[in-house]
Amino acid sequence: MTTAEVASELLANAEQEAPPSGSQVGRLVAPLRRTIAVASVLQAVSSALGVMPFIAVAEIGRVLLADGPTDEGRAWLIAGLGAGAMLLQFIFKMASGAITHFADVDFQFYLRRSMATQLSTVPLGWFNDRNSGAVKKALEDDVSTLHHIVGHSYTNMVGAVVTPLTALIYFFIVDWRMALVALIPIVGGIVLYAFMYRGFGEKMVAYDQALEDVNSSSVAFVQGIAVVKTYGQARRSYRQFVEHANRFVDYFWEWVRVQIPWISAGNTVMSPIFAMVVIVAVGLGLTASGTIEAIDLLPFIILGPSLAAAFLTLSFAQNDLMLAQRAADRVAAVLDTPSLPEAEQPRTPDGTRVTFEGVGFSYDGTNEAVREVDLTLEPGTVTALVGPSGSGKSTLARLLPRFWDTTQGRITIGGVPVNEIASDELYRSVGLVFQDVQLLRMSIRDNIALARPDASFDDVERAARTAQIHERIIELPRGYDSVAGEDALLSGGEAQRVSIARAVLADTPILVLDEATAFADPEAEASIQDALSELIAGRTLLVIAHRLHTIVGADQICVLDAGRIVERGTHQELLAHEGVYRRLWEASQVGEVVG
Amino acid sequence: MIFQLLQLLPASLPHGRRLRANILGLALESILTGVGFALLVPLLRATFDGDFDTAWIWLGAMVGVLAAYGIVRWITQMLGFISAINLGRGLFERLGDKIAQLPLGWFDATRVGSLGRLTSQGVIDVMGVPAHLLRPVVNAFVTPVTVIIVMFAFDWRLALAAAITAPLAWLVYQWSADLVQRTDHRMDDAKVDASNRVVEFAQTQAVLRGFGYATRSFKQLDDALQEQRDAGRSQLLIAAPGLAGFVLVVQIAFTILLLFGLNLALGGSIEVAELLAMLVLAARYVDPMIEAADLGGALRISRNSLGRMETLFATPPLPESESSRQPADATVSFEAVEFAYEEHTVVDQISFTAPERTMTAIVGPSGAGKTTILRLIARFWDASAGAVRIGGVDVRDLSTEVLMRQISVVFQDVYLFDGTIEENIRLGRPDATDAEVRAAATLARVDEIAERLPEGWEARVGEGGARLSGGERQRVSIARAILKDAPIVLLDEATAALDPINERAVQQALRELTHNKTLIVVAHRLQTVQAADQILVLDQGQIAERGSHAELQELDGRYASFWRERVRAAGWRVTAEQPRATTDKVPAD
Repeated sequence: MTTAEVASELLANAEQEAPPSGSQVGRLVAPLRRTIAVASVLQAVSSALGVMPFIAVAEIGRVLLADGPTDEGRAWLIAGLGAGAMLLQFIFKMASGAITHFADVDFQFYLRRSMATQLSTVPLGWFNDRNSGAVKKALEDDVSTLHHIVGHSYTNMVGAVVTPLTALIYFFIVDWRMALVALIPIVGGIVLYAFMYRGFGEKMVAYDQALEDVNSSSVAFVQGIAVVKTYGQARRSYRQFVEHANRFVDYFWEWVRVQIPWISAGNTVMSPIFAMVVIVAVGLGLTASGTIEAIDLLPFIILGPSLAAAFLTLSFAQNDLMLAQRAADRVAAVLDTPSLPEAEQPRTPDGTRVTFEGVGFSYDGTNEAVREVDLTLEPGTVTALVGPSGSGKSTLARLLPRFWDTTQGRITIGGVPVNEIASDELYRSVGLVFQDVQLLRMSIRDNIALARPDASFDDVERAARTAQIHERIIELPRGYDSVAGEDALLSGGEAQRVSIARAVLADTPILVLDEATAFADPEAEASIQDALSELIAGRTLLVIAHRLHTIVGADQICVLDAGRIVERGTHQELLAHEGVYRRLWEASQVGEVVG
Repeated sequence: MIFQLLQLLPASLPHGRRLRANILGLALESILTGVGFALLVPLLRATFDGDFDTAWIWLGAMVGVLAAYGIVRWITQMLGFISAINLGRGLFERLGDKIAQLPLGWFDATRVGSLGRLTSQGVIDVMGVPAHLLRPVVNAFVTPVTVIIVMFAFDWRLALAAAITAPLAWLVYQWSADLVQRTDHRMDDAKVDASNRVVEFAQTQAVLRGFGYATRSFKQLDDALQEQRDAGRSQLLIAAPGLAGFVLVVQIAFTILLLFGLNLALGGSIEVAELLAMLVLAARYVDPMIEAADLGGALRISRNSLGRMETLFATPPLPESESSRQPADATVSFEAVEFAYEEHTVVDQISFTAPERTMTAIVGPSGAGKTTILRLIARFWDASAGAVRIGGVDVRDLSTEVLMRQISVVFQDVYLFDGTIEENIRLGRPDATDAEVRAAATLARVDEIAERLPEGWEARVGEGGARLSGGERQRVSIARAILKDAPIVLLDEATAALDPINERAVQQALRELTHNKTLIVVAHRLQTVQAADQILVLDQGQIAERGSHAELQELDGRYASFWRERVRAAGWRVTAEQPRATTDKVPAD
């Protein structure tokens, strides 16, 4: 199966309804079914071959101890076969391991890429609900944890079954009574382990909870250290952390304390020396009573002690397997996040007139963040959204570039609803400038050319000049090739101008300025404003502003309250009557005396 | 690894001794197994000779060894877990102590992130060493040695053959470990890079979407993921021969023993019973080494966590003063203070005095060292030269408790605990009455926030205060500071704009907080600057100008031009027609 097939099957699987319970491991691993099957067969052959050298030793013993002259040729033949089997076993095992491990590397890559692809299309709100650490955990850590399943679990399981099974078949051929005796350690071990794992699920939940408490109190302790220290509360926060840590340790001890006798007994019973003593004791009795021949004991003494080892490996792997299952659930949850649907037959907007028609939006399905908004942005005009925080301004503005789809009504550009415009077309029409500037860790040139990676250097430079940041960029160690955050250490205001250059180059007819008129670096405010003035000239603007004086010249000002437009008009019109805008305006007069 | 652990647990401590006892017990386990298998030789010999009476005696001895093994196993299991528990308890406590002693300035974003992991999962990783990992490691060393010694007791030739392969296996193992280590570097780098890209991808999603990356892939992330895959592949290609070589050497050793032993047996120079027993032993000799090789990854994780803890423990703490000196008043003064961070001078020869109950405003471009001045007063760091004094006493001579009682801090990055609003405010003075808490909340206009939230005062604010907006978080932190009522207030004015009503609420709250206090403020608002008794204009860590607003205007230097720019900025308007900001008129509002 080619890698592309793997990827597409993965996504196809991801789109299927997820089973409500149980592990997602099977579903994620499905594309690798054939690979794993091949590796498992190789492992099975290897495990069976792995028993052969020991059978050879036993058989050599029988040849050497047989009555009469020793058949030397037969002894050498068996030894040769044993040595050959060992070599083959090695080759098969390596092949199996190589197959699963190489498949795993590719699997991890496609899983990560599929997740990234999926996340690029989910509604943006998904990212608001979780921090970037959680995304990193799913894409990097959880996928790595799955390594155990692909790389080891299946083949280990096969080995753990085939190895003792091969030995047992040989045992039953030699002597059925001794074969049953050889089973004693495994059966005993399973019984003791069953006792050990009693109530394991509940205890694991409690263990996780205790660990979670340690986690959160350690995060609170470390992150809040400045606060607790300046309020003289370091001891309290410290105590809470240590208390949770101690509670975790106590719980762990409670748990293992009752387990220790079972663990010790189980491990002793499965230890090679126990198996040997049992086999020798019963074997000696049977030989002494003449039931079996002494040389028939050899296979059991030689192979019996290792019989339980494979099983033990499996139980050690239990923990890894469980971790991997939980990781698989989280990975599957990411792949299952629904995307914003893409229009099947995209339409091209005719012009740049924007309308909001009866638009409503709710993040959670119950509380409406935006309701019944009707609004028209005429080409080349400035529309300002104002209102207290939480009034829905940012949400409304972000519906235009389709960060989410409206739950009611529709938004059109040039007469076409935004969800019927192809994504790339939409982003050619609508540009964004945010207050919280985010430069990506790539060259300044690439940062500016974000929307048009194929832009010529001249275009990039022109945009930088327009945004009044060119002079600063050429002072950087590597000029335009300096990497943001590495050798391009820019102040907040400079970064803001780079982001403006980005929007200049994107050259979209419609612009959304989200709090872009507030400044990360107040000392550099004037130069940022000059850059903004260059950017916005002649475009259709939707501006969200806290500083009311910046938007007094807007063609229309919409005042939002609780998601609704409660007032609209020009600055003068709105000031003329007693309303929310006037109240806001008066409040703002206290705020900035000179401003 | 084991030595590293023992270093963390000095032998004088009872659990350090326990760990040593545990290691000895584990060695004993391996030795007992070897002895038990050695008993096979006389037992088999007697059995093949038909001398069952003797065989039964040897079996009795074997049962005795087994019983001893069982008991030792139980004890080591017990000791292992007890060591793990004590180790965990001790590490949690030491980490907690250390964190409490480190200078506050040490805690930057990356350190906070990795520290959170170290203080939870990291400790558990280390606990796993005595609990689970010690046994296979000890086994891998002791068992082969035991087996070879036992073999020497019976047949020196086979023993020699086995003994020769042991160092060879060890060499190949070292070689393969080296190979893995070498590729680990690239793997780690690739992982770190990919992780950073994923975080960036998530954090900048709005920008990426806005510039069309919903439909095309974010090349930098994809490249990083591909590099991670390539590094993984090359690790397999480079490291696999090493691992395979190890297994092969071990298996060849067994094959040689088999063939050589058969040769000896056929020549009649070794008994069959001996040969068989020794081949059984030889199989035992191989398993522990392969098992230990499989645990390399888990060991590496534990070792990394241990290493990071050692580094943390070695970080010098902020020296705590023993003196019980008290500041005379609430005057803050800097005397030729210098401060360098990572060899970069941030504050350079700064001297000033902020008299009691006056307001000092600090202005200047970003990176000028404004916030560092506030942090030096709160002793996030100690000055590298000069002295910061409060009420005439060097802050280094004040106990943390006394120092912190003098100051209230309202910084931009407000951290709230995941508790109720009320709990977060009460942090300012834990013994405050409910009425006092409410009063502070009202002054900071937090009552409005509580009224708005469905659960009111009982509403939890989420981890770090995530459920509140930036302005709301700041109001809670102001209420906290009002409740504390310290004589010195350190304020870092928010640069992010709030809506006018929020803004006014915050300003009123601040007036309540700073009334009659010594106020040192990193100022961004023109009104704040104008109202200051003293303005310090900072540039590149030095005071470029100082004086009142009027004096500095008069001077017509850096401050005056700064002021003009800000006034011009304040008059700027968003309009589609105007290509440039207005520069001439000072706005009427």
